[in-house]
Amino acid sequence: MKEPLLEWPSAGVTRSPYRVMSDPEIYAQEQARIFRGPTWNYLCLEAEIPDPGTFRTTYIGETPVIVAREKDGSIHAMVNRCAHKGAMLCPEAGGKRQHLTCPYHGWVYDLQGKLRGVPFQHGVAGKGGMPEGFDTADHSLERVRAQSFYGLIFGTLSTDVEPLETYLGPSMAEHVSRVFHKPVEVLGYHHQVLHNNWKLYMENSRDPYHATILHTFYATFKLNRLTMDGGITVDHDGWHSINYSKGATLREGGYEGTGIRSVVDDVGLADPSLIERRQEFDDGITVAIQSIFPSCVNQQIYNTLAIRNVVPQGPGQCELHWTFFGYRGDDHALRDMRLKQSNLIGPAGYVSIDDGVIGEYVQRGIAGTGVDANSVMEMGGSAVESTPGSRATEATLRGFWTGYRSLMGL
Amino acid sequence: MIDEKLRRQIEDLHTRYIRAIDDDCLEDWPALFTEECLYKIVTRENFDQHLPLAVMDCRSRGMLEDRVTGLRKINFFEPHRYSHQISGLMIESVEGIIANCRSNYLVVRTMAEGTMTIFSAGTYLDKILLDPAGAKFEERIVVADSRRIETLLVIPL
Repeated sequence: MKEPLLEWPSAGVTRSPYRVMSDPEIYAQEQARIFRGPTWNYLCLEAEIPDPGTFRTTYIGETPVIVAREKDGSIHAMVNRCAHKGAMLCPEAGGKRQHLTCPYHGWVYDLQGKLRGVPFQHGVAGKGGMPEGFDTADHSLERVRAQSFYGLIFGTLSTDVEPLETYLGPSMAEHVSRVFHKPVEVLGYHHQVLHNNWKLYMENSRDPYHATILHTFYATFKLNRLTMDGGITVDHDGWHSINYSKGATLREGGYEGTGIRSVVDDVGLADPSLIERRQEFDDGITVAIQSIFPSCVNQQIYNTLAIRNVVPQGPGQCELHWTFFGYRGDDHALRDMRLKQSNLIGPAGYVSIDDGVIGEYVQRGIAGTGVDANSVMEMGGSAVESTPGSRATEATLRGFWTGYRSLMGL
Repeated sequence: MIDEKLRRQIEDLHTRYIRAIDDDCLEDWPALFTEECLYKIVTRENFDQHLPLAVMDCRSRGMLEDRVTGLRKINFFEPHRYSHQISGLMIESVEGIIANCRSNYLVVRTMAEGTMTIFSAGTYLDKILLDPAGAKFEERIVVADSRRIETLLVIPL
């Protein structure tokens, strides 16, 4: 038995060692045990590959992946890496192709990843070429098992992961179906480089405690406060979570006069049309952030809808890919409202700007810490459970670390 | 033939724009736009695919003022400054009192602790209102060449 990479603190998931945010060996193990392990990873939306021959490229952890639609409409995913010398086949974000041809030596694959042609396979003028026994069937692209759920395509590199719906769990599946209940239309992308470990962003996305404190815009303009009805839902032992609030249920007080930094007095909006909203969901939820282990976030902030996918780029950096969408057939006013409200999100969003740097502050803050230095997550106790009436909790973060420990064997 | 006076008026507007941002006089920035202005920062990735999402999407001078309020009073970020370099100004056409212009920009960002990076480079696509009292932007579309934003964007480009 190999020695564990580190000893987890005896206090369990109310602590996480800072070392997991910077250690290169732990980072390499995460690629193997989490991203190439038994997890389902968000790849893209079906709406992005609507026609036969269309494809998108993305990543599972650091592994480059192609997702394509075949002539018969079926969806296939494969590692974006030629089976010959390992060159990336498609450097672009997406497009339309009949075949995938490697630019290096011209090996040709179909959209299922099967090798269809090797230039000079039989040599030139009877000389050279591949040996007699060379079988193209042995040199397909590495397969990524892909499955669509309500138009979200997830993929896995694992052969023994549980079925996608079981992996998500009933509450998470229900929330995905709530948002993706009708066909969506992509309105654009953001890409944001964060100078912090990918897990710091995943913690942040799940953290209802910081949301109305760091994000002063939320509390000041009453988009989101802990004094609204709201709660958290965890599923699959806490691997995944949702935190949500209902804007119309705001009770006054709780912030003003308490010295909490999050409310700025004497500030108004010169153009308050920014925060006009339309109630789209009959459950009254106006802000809902769903975090799907390991690295996907499904976000509704007012009428802005987006998927955020975190791509790790080494222990100290990750890139956040935002796919912003509406519904096909949105009336003009609603589509326009989503775009105007897009000022709330993304790398320049009034709500999300603050998250761009807070993870980096943690990454810089924990530099030089020793092996026994840990972060503390005791808000709401030590349990990992749903709390329908409260968001003053860090149960969602403890849930993330529950999943992490289980996969990493820590 | 674009006359020299017109060119000087437009160059002067560009200069005042740089001074407002790079000298940290952002309160002067909204006044360089008309009341009903459009100011957008878009990435070339979205722009070329005709995808409407913008990084910043301001449809009135009020929304520009709110951006200044946001960075002065609301948002949290590490203090930093920009240095704009603008080149290649071309006045493409003049329709009545509107001049259609394009130019290149390069923004170097310097963080409080000293790190300097080329933060953004791209093209300004402008519709400039030629008011005798001073030219103003009726529309400025900032098309950033890179699809990536490094850390965050809070000061306008």
